[in-house]
Amino acid sequence: MDLQALWLTLRLAAATTAVLLALGIPLAYWLASARTRLRPLVEALTTLPILLPPTVLGFYLLVLLGPRTAFGRVAAHLLGHPLAFSFSGLVVGSVLYSLPFAVQPLAAGFRSVDTALLEQARLLGAGRWRTLTAVLLPLSTHSLVAAAALCFTHTIGEFGVVLMIGGDIPGATRTLSIAIYDQVQDFSWAAANRTSLLLICVAVLALFLLYAHRAQEDTGA
Amino acid sequence: MHIAAAADLEPLLPPLLTAFQQQTGIRAEASYQSSATLATQIIDGAPFDLFLAADLSFPQRVIAVGRAEESQPVPYARGTLVLWTRNDSGIATLSLDALRNSTVKSIAIANPLHAPYGRAAQAALEHSGLYDQLRAKLVVAENIAQTAQYVDSGNAQIGFISLTSALTPRLRADGRFIRVPAEDYPPILQGAIVVRGRAGSAAAHRFLDFLAQPASRHTLAAEGLEPVH
Repeated sequence: MDLQALWLTLRLAAATTAVLLALGIPLAYWLASARTRLRPLVEALTTLPILLPPTVLGFYLLVLLGPRTAFGRVAAHLLGHPLAFSFSGLVVGSVLYSLPFAVQPLAAGFRSVDTALLEQARLLGAGRWRTLTAVLLPLSTHSLVAAAALCFTHTIGEFGVVLMIGGDIPGATRTLSIAIYDQVQDFSWAAANRTSLLLICVAVLALFLLYAHRAQEDTGA
Repeated sequence: MHIAAAADLEPLLPPLLTAFQQQTGIRAEASYQSSATLATQIIDGAPFDLFLAADLSFPQRVIAVGRAEESQPVPYARGTLVLWTRNDSGIATLSLDALRNSTVKSIAIANPLHAPYGRAAQAALEHSGLYDQLRAKLVVAENIAQTAQYVDSGNAQIGFISLTSALTPRLRADGRFIRVPAEDYPPILQGAIVVRGRAGSAAAHRFLDFLAQPASRHTLAAEGLEPVH
């Protein structure tokens, strides 16, 4: 029972992290290098999920993903089912919810790379893509690992958005945090305790691996 | 006075609280959650004076741990389960049997584990022998208010909600409903308890008396909660 929820939670966290790195790297690159007046606005928007209550996100997603909007209808048509109450819906929600946790460390990492190196890369004829893959990313592995670990753990701990748009379906949207909530609601405190301990173990392990990796890099450097 | 009120009371309690304040001068505030959440909170010492639950089992739990003044929950109303759908959901016939149609993809219910209306919905489906075959279509909301939100937003096509939600102007305008036959599910008897050892317990008793007055019972009935006696 709990294992199904654990597996689902891990899959959700992995999918969310993958999507967030794919979106976050170009976005952070743009934020670190762009010189337009648009930048603060984009920065503000990507940071917004940190201060928005998950209920606001969940509410908008429920309305936005619903069949009453064109977006919701297109998504439902493409997927063959509505986004709400589905795994893909949770991925969309989690990506928005954890977006700042990918973009912030990545943008900070890219900004800390010596601009002289970027200048040299440009002089040697490297385009934007090559500069990103050959210079920026290899010099920002710290930030990359931090972004991935933060997205992963933040998604594992996600609750409000999932409660709002999930629909509590075993194997599809009942994540560990929802399973714990159900168990508490049902006065199954022993079960809630077991599931919570499982969650704590997963979180401690993930964070330990992150910091172990960092310590290793620091001693290696 | 602070009231812990079941989510199905959200549409109708505020005007009653205003009327109560006009009559007695006592200001009452309500928090709306699923009955299970509220019971847990009261057992853990949440500052509520009165618990208006959506069934009898959750007040019983509060009684069992010695946090209630009563030894039995005081029934104050009976809830009605309805099957509701939006006018544009594409569902032509509203009936339990029609839920089997392949055009019906998602059915919202409140969590049967901890929401009394969810328990009633599950009982009605089991009574009609539909529960097992419909299981894959069920989307489970945390409480009965969220169930209404799932169907009204169109994310679920059809859902089992409370008559109190179905009678609100918004849902009246957006859709239509049928009452689930009363013999299909055990009555949703809603019980109250006064929380023990609170400064507001006298006020809580007065509010229960107020709820039993003919005018209040009339309001409750008009908004979807039948009187008990």
